[in-house]
Amino acid sequence: MTTQVKTHLRFFGSAVVAIRLAIRDLRGGVRGFGVFLACLALGVAAIAGVGSVSRALSDGLARQGGVILGGDVALSLTHREATTIEQNYLEERGRVAVIATMRAMARAKSDNATLVELKAVDASYPLAGDLKLDPDEGLLTALASPEGVSGAVADPALLARLGISVGDQIKIGDATFEITATLVNEPDKLAQGLGFGPRLIVASGALRRTNLLQPGSLVRWTYRVALEDSSSKGLDEFMRETRARFPDAGWEIRSRTNASPQLERNVKRFTEFLTLVGLTALLVGGVGVANAVKHYLDRKGKSIATLKAIGATGGMVFSVYLAEISLLALAGIAIGLVAGLLMPFAVLWGFGAILPLPFEPSVQLGVLLLAFLYGLVITLAFVLWPLGKAHDVAVSALFRDLIEPQRALPRRRYMLLTAIAVILLATLAIFASEDRKIAIIYVIMSATVFIVLRVLATAIMAVASILPRARSTTLRLALSNIHRPGALTPTVVLSLGLGISLLVTLTLIEGNLRRQLTATLPSQAPSFFFLDVPSSDSENFNAFIRHHAPEQARLDQVPMLRGRILSLKGIPVEEIKPDPDAAWVLQSDRGLTFADDVPEGSTIVEGSWWPRNYDGPPVVSFEKRNADLLKLKVDDHIVVNVLGRNIEATIANLRRVDWESLGINFVLLFPPNVFQGAPYTVLATLTYPDGGTPETELKLIKEIAGAFPAVTTVRVKEALEAINAIVSDLSVGVRAAAGITLIASILVLAGALAAGHHTRVYDAVILKTLGATRGRLVLAYGIEYAILGLITAIIATTAGGLAGAFVVKEVMHFRFVFMLSAAAFAAGVSVLLTVIFGLIGTWRALGQKPATVLRNL
Amino acid sequence: MDAPLKQRRTEPPAVSIDGVELSLGVGRARVHILKRVSLQIAAGEAVGLIGPSGSGKSTLLMVMAGLERPDAGRVRIAGEDLGSLDEDGLARFRGKAVGIVFQSFHLIPTMTALENVAVPLELAGRVDAMDRAKNELEGVGLGDRFNHYPAQLSGGEQQRVALARALAPMPALLIADEPTGNLDETTGREIMDLLFAQRAKHKSTLVLVTHDSELVKRCSRVVRMRSGHIEEAVTTARQA
Repeated sequence: MTTQVKTHLRFFGSAVVAIRLAIRDLRGGVRGFGVFLACLALGVAAIAGVGSVSRALSDGLARQGGVILGGDVALSLTHREATTIEQNYLEERGRVAVIATMRAMARAKSDNATLVELKAVDASYPLAGDLKLDPDEGLLTALASPEGVSGAVADPALLARLGISVGDQIKIGDATFEITATLVNEPDKLAQGLGFGPRLIVASGALRRTNLLQPGSLVRWTYRVALEDSSSKGLDEFMRETRARFPDAGWEIRSRTNASPQLERNVKRFTEFLTLVGLTALLVGGVGVANAVKHYLDRKGKSIATLKAIGATGGMVFSVYLAEISLLALAGIAIGLVAGLLMPFAVLWGFGAILPLPFEPSVQLGVLLLAFLYGLVITLAFVLWPLGKAHDVAVSALFRDLIEPQRALPRRRYMLLTAIAVILLATLAIFASEDRKIAIIYVIMSATVFIVLRVLATAIMAVASILPRARSTTLRLALSNIHRPGALTPTVVLSLGLGISLLVTLTLIEGNLRRQLTATLPSQAPSFFFLDVPSSDSENFNAFIRHHAPEQARLDQVPMLRGRILSLKGIPVEEIKPDPDAAWVLQSDRGLTFADDVPEGSTIVEGSWWPRNYDGPPVVSFEKRNADLLKLKVDDHIVVNVLGRNIEATIANLRRVDWESLGINFVLLFPPNVFQGAPYTVLATLTYPDGGTPETELKLIKEIAGAFPAVTTVRVKEALEAINAIVSDLSVGVRAAAGITLIASILVLAGALAAGHHTRVYDAVILKTLGATRGRLVLAYGIEYAILGLITAIIATTAGGLAGAFVVKEVMHFRFVFMLSAAAFAAGVSVLLTVIFGLIGTWRALGQKPATVLRNL
Repeated sequence: MDAPLKQRRTEPPAVSIDGVELSLGVGRARVHILKRVSLQIAAGEAVGLIGPSGSGKSTLLMVMAGLERPDAGRVRIAGEDLGSLDEDGLARFRGKAVGIVFQSFHLIPTMTALENVAVPLELAGRVDAMDRAKNELEGVGLGDRFNHYPAQLSGGEQQRVALARALAPMPALLIADEPTGNLDETTGREIMDLLFAQRAKHKSTLVLVTHDSELVKRCSRVVRMRSGHIEEAVTTARQA
């Protein structure tokens, strides 16, 4: 047998002995490991649950791609319909359904008016999925126009808004419709994205009778195709052939494999965000894990010394307890994994009927593996250090002699192993994330907060130990509890500090997001956007508004056209991989405008503005931030297709735009000569001096809808309410995840209190024997927890504030406002919980009868 | 004088301690515990180590077991120079050459009597650990207590298990630190009968720390310690 084989056998033999001894030791029960198991299970369940729910969503989106898209492929055009050649081409390859979508105003007989998301369909609709109506008479029947009045199918919300019911009539543009049914299920709803009004479905022919289809109207034509060869190969071939044959068609093509890319991207981003929050819960739990192991090993001191006395090496002791802790960790992780994998099924069971998205739960091995790895690596990162100390447990403790003090740090090899586990954890967090930049920021922030809190704990203990002796016994007791060996200080500061930091960060992010959407509105934002005001009618419209709106109200109007960027610096957009934050600029048609003067809210930061009545070759003004993201500079060339005409323009200047004002602004702005004679519409905003009341706003909507049926009025407050509703829904998820972190903090605190229970009982009994009342002891412990909680809260609120500011400013690109009251509330609640849980944990100690305890001392 | 002892006296000493110095603690709390201690114990001898509390008896035992490293001097046990072994080497050496019986038994509470006895054998990689452990337990009269946990055993039974555990690896040196200190007189006597009988059976050298004068009389030699020194070594009439 070679030496190498012998070494392997010896290693294997030692490992077997270590596992055997570990299993025997576990027979002693898992007392003291409740918090250990709960912390791991909670964190792993959060990560596995978030991942599983997210995958159930993305799987649902992927598997129902055809239904969501309404066919195998969808080709969208803005402004124009497909040419006969294009339509023939599509019809040769499968069944085609043509859908036109636009925003319009629906008016009831009562003159009530509201914005609707209008959808005009042909007889082929829907190509995929089931459209359900109430009454369920079939779409063709519902949209028919037997007596000259076309049928329309409405979202029930429209009926409620207009105060009408099925059978009543409404006007859209110049046409009258009878509501014949309400919409129960619209299979392709998700493909449309966020809507600002309720859906109204009419027949294609009926749409033309509205007279809303004017040059420049914001109408989107979508051609959905159910391919004859619907295999993946057929799909790929169709996409390739279509692009090759119609390179300049300007249509946006989507296939069933990426039916709702924006939604999928958002689901992914939100999942990553929640995973990081879950990881923080696991990190907080890690403190509890480390505490549990430390106290367990303290309790096992005699057994460890005995093992060493009868021949176990320090390394063997480490292996035995590593095996033991690993087995326990596996149990905790397994509980978390089971809870996590059941989570999407529970969501389906509890909320399946009201879920707005396709949801297909399944057991996701990849997600479970990631959660397992997180649980395992976190366990190792937190337990290797205390386990390493077990290596040097002094056997001398078994004799009655003076013993050398134990070393403060574990041996170098265990510190190295801990460092490797920490690096592994950071690597996992970074590489398991799709947005590495965010993950790296998270890792750096977590590490910084962790180190700061650890240093803070040491500093608090050091300061408490050198403070002059307090006259009050109660205060002296509180202070000595803060710095004595085995004090709660490091645990409370670390676990509570991490919990509060995260809570404050999330509170500030959410608060700033909401503020951005609502709080800044009254002073700056317009009350209305008016779309599709025909340029020929703009003077009349202006006069009408002046007459009906309050005198101080401000009306802003800009011409608007739609155009699509074809190339940047000579490179076709199809070949450009833009920064995700600027990708929208290159996707399909965007609004653009022309002006002689620099618009309000814009500042020229590079290049120069063109002179009035400029008559030279085409130039363009590009918005600065998007220009930077697309790597565009002054003098670069871009090609834009507007109304079928390709315009090659030189970038004359870059503008900084204050988007948050919600005023009218565009990425692309041309001098008027570029579009001389081209048809366009006018986009207008109306700003009330004091924000406007619902009554005055709704009255104006009615009046405009009556006088200008073709003009679409978007009430900004309603649009923002829609966005706010989404933010609120997302907030529920974020708060749930943050709640898990706080629960982990409380668990860790409870664990630390339980571990220190014996010492507290001893203290309480001795002090009571010496005459201390329960009230005085409660006060001392209360002061101890309050001091710890308060200092931790101040530091953690600062850390959370910095983290929140970073995310809001650098990731979301919003202005950051430190919301002291919100942050203080989050921190205050946490401190209160610390004191309450601390006192609850100590109450039992205070209730001990001195005689009973003294007899057993 | 029995023949085997006579024969062993020609062998190298089981314990050879030469000029050992040991201080513990740091700064002002540092205490000089062993002061130039030298002691030779022949293989097969039974030595009683006596002296007042704090005289350094237990520390000397720990030095013999390789649990404390002396600041100066040399320690050889069964021919092995403990100064040349690293910590792991000492642990392995202890596992095969030194058996320890403690005053407080120190059985591992989560293991049965049989498992407690088998542990040192398992740590030494013995494949017959369980069989050997059974023999040892039967040898101390606990053949019917294999699967009992320490908490289910009386103090005397626990100390028998501890004795079986100490003797199971057939150690060259058996050290006992007040093995009857936590037992009543009758049980203590039974345990000592067993200890001497078993050590004779295993042919182990015994070093025993005790305050019990009756026990001292059963040793072949008595070493008295005071303030870190060996004050006197007396060869008892019984074994002389």
